[in-house]
Amino acid sequence: MSEDENVIPQANSMPPTQPQPIPQPQTIPVSPQLPIAETPQTIPVSPQLPIAETPQPIPQPIPQPIPQPALSDESEAMPMATAEAPVTGQTRMETAWGSSEGDEEYSEMASVGQTGAGEIFQQNYEPWRGELNPRWMRNWAILRHHVLGIIKKGHRPWGVPTKIFLVIVFFASLSDAGLTLLASLIGESEFHSMWGVNRDNLYGHVLGFFPRNVMYYPIVAALLVGGVISEDRLHGTSALYFSRPINRFDYVGMKYASVAIIQAIIIIFTLFLYYLTEIMAFGRGWAWIIDTFPIFLGALMGGVLLIITYTSIGLALSSVSKGKFFPGIGLLAIILGTKTLAIIVKNLFDREILYLLSPYDCLAHVGQALVSTQPTYDQYSWTWSLASLIAMNAIALYVLSSRVSSMEVTRE
Amino acid sequence: MALENLNLDIKKGATGLLGPNGAGKSTFLKTILGLIQATSGDGTVLGHDIRTEGAAIRSRIGYMPEYDALNPEMDAINQVRYSGELLGMNPVVALQRAHASLQYVGLGEQRYREIKSFSTGMKQATKLACAIIHDPELIIADEPSNGLDATAREFMITTLINTVKQGDRSVLMASHLMEDVERVCDDIVLLHKGKLAAQGRIKDLKAIDREIEIHVWGGASKLEAAMKHRGMRVRREGRVMRIAHESDDLTSDILRCASEVGAQIRRMHEYEASLEDLFLVIMENLGYEVKTSEDLLSHPINARKVDAPGHMGGGAA
Repeated sequence: MSEDENVIPQANSMPPTQPQPIPQPQTIPVSPQLPIAETPQTIPVSPQLPIAETPQPIPQPIPQPIPQPALSDESEAMPMATAEAPVTGQTRMETAWGSSEGDEEYSEMASVGQTGAGEIFQQNYEPWRGELNPRWMRNWAILRHHVLGIIKKGHRPWGVPTKIFLVIVFFASLSDAGLTLLASLIGESEFHSMWGVNRDNLYGHVLGFFPRNVMYYPIVAALLVGGVISEDRLHGTSALYFSRPINRFDYVGMKYASVAIIQAIIIIFTLFLYYLTEIMAFGRGWAWIIDTFPIFLGALMGGVLLIITYTSIGLALSSVSKGKFFPGIGLLAIILGTKTLAIIVKNLFDREILYLLSPYDCLAHVGQALVSTQPTYDQYSWTWSLASLIAMNAIALYVLSSRVSSMEVTRE
Repeated sequence: MALENLNLDIKKGATGLLGPNGAGKSTFLKTILGLIQATSGDGTVLGHDIRTEGAAIRSRIGYMPEYDALNPEMDAINQVRYSGELLGMNPVVALQRAHASLQYVGLGEQRYREIKSFSTGMKQATKLACAIIHDPELIIADEPSNGLDATAREFMITTLINTVKQGDRSVLMASHLMEDVERVCDDIVLLHKGKLAAQGRIKDLKAIDREIEIHVWGGASKLEAAMKHRGMRVRREGRVMRIAHESDDLTSDILRCASEVGAQIRRMHEYEASLEDLFLVIMENLGYEVKTSEDLLSHPINARKVDAPGHMGGGAA
């Protein structure tokens, strides 16, 4: 048997079959004719009506009640008649497609095209002939985007809890300035010695452990650094940066600067306000300012070191993550965890060496040296703490740079 | 994926970048954007050296990434404005252009909505708005119609066509959807394993595969034999046969053969290979050799090797 004879008919190539007899439509009994008056009522109009004559009122046709068709038994039975006929669906087909005769006028069957009612959206490509600004403007855009996002809509969307916490911490950081002002108002010298500007209070404003370095600054840093880089990885927005003329250094540098500036507003700006309040409220002269300014500068440098350290560690954690939770918790764990561990070791073994692993303690030790306040770390020099701080920052920046340089533009 | 001996010249207009996964498309795009340093060789994009002038290149290119590249918490207008500021646009100018760009991509009414409330099509449109905010000379669109429904896809394709034709911009479009590439682009570049597999005008490349398709009823084998006897190149799968369109009176010859052997031809029409067919053919048969459309046209018989499996009379293994 040849292949040709053995071909299985395809669905679309059915062999010709005998035409099926088309079922004749069942005659459906039509309802009886409405009884129409045989002689229609007409208005007699005479063409030869003389114009001058007073027009006769036109006799209005008396409305005849429309005779209702008397429903005979036959018409009532009509639906029943269709039920008796075989169900062919033909009536519906005729409704949809016209009669089965095929004699319809095409014009009757053609669907009416939709009338054009104007175009609401017209796509027009608008060229732009402007000049792009240089590198500093691009960097300023990144900085502005992050810093203004704290107070203004349309920039980086910081979370509402973050914004609220920043406001709370800002005012809480001004507590010493407020109490100094209060001391000047009530004129209580003992109250002033407790809260006014002095070596210990300037140190305490920046590097005091409780509450500032437990409840304020580490949490602020954790909230800020959490999503700064990790969310670019999460949402793929790194492509938005790197497909623009922005290099990795500018990207990470401006993000770093943004986070540092926001922390500086809370830590250093409030320190400056505290110092200014003392000068204004107590009318301090140049002699006092010259005396205390080195201490103020020492506290300020301590604050700068704190901001740099917390930002470096935090951004390094942010760069290895795709969410903001891990970097935030990680930063808090490093700052407070190492401190707790060092306290335990000191209490158990009377050894302070583990404080070198704690970023906060290293900052505090260096800060004490800068402000020249009473040191609380006796077993080693502050230079060890400074070296440890430098090492911590170097490691964090290395991680940060290597992670950012490996960020993809096409896929993250 | 490393690119090797890639030597190509992309003309103004729309060009499709095709290739299977791992062909080197992303590497190629990164190289164009000046983000990867070539270890050897050189190249210029819009007159700038890819090795030393990456920033200048990126200033003149609009890149629309395949994956999400938008902050879902931001509204569309500010996202597009920020993308303009990152190019160095003044904030006021960037805002004006953001409005114009979003209007162009059909998001004029939705521009103040947060991106997280957008559909995939709207996100794609927002990415396109980010890419065109500075009216770049070249737009790189990486899978622009991927994952879109029919309406959004149609709109995206129309927008890209308008950008090329009305805006007189160039588009380099990487896509797996051959139909979309075919609609937008005039030229294609085919990459395979980091090498250039083929490049040229789609029209030229498709011309090599013109065939007449017939559906036969009865006597198919006899008809096939008769046509082959007359020197026609026939591919057959069951009752469907495709005959290479090599002479002007091919249809008459086919009908004559059918008449001689008594076979019925139930259907006959010209079969034009789709870009997808072409892609598969080139990937299967020419992947390791550089072929321009001229090469393929000059040696159509060797180049094609399309075909049905060997047991059906085709040339492919």
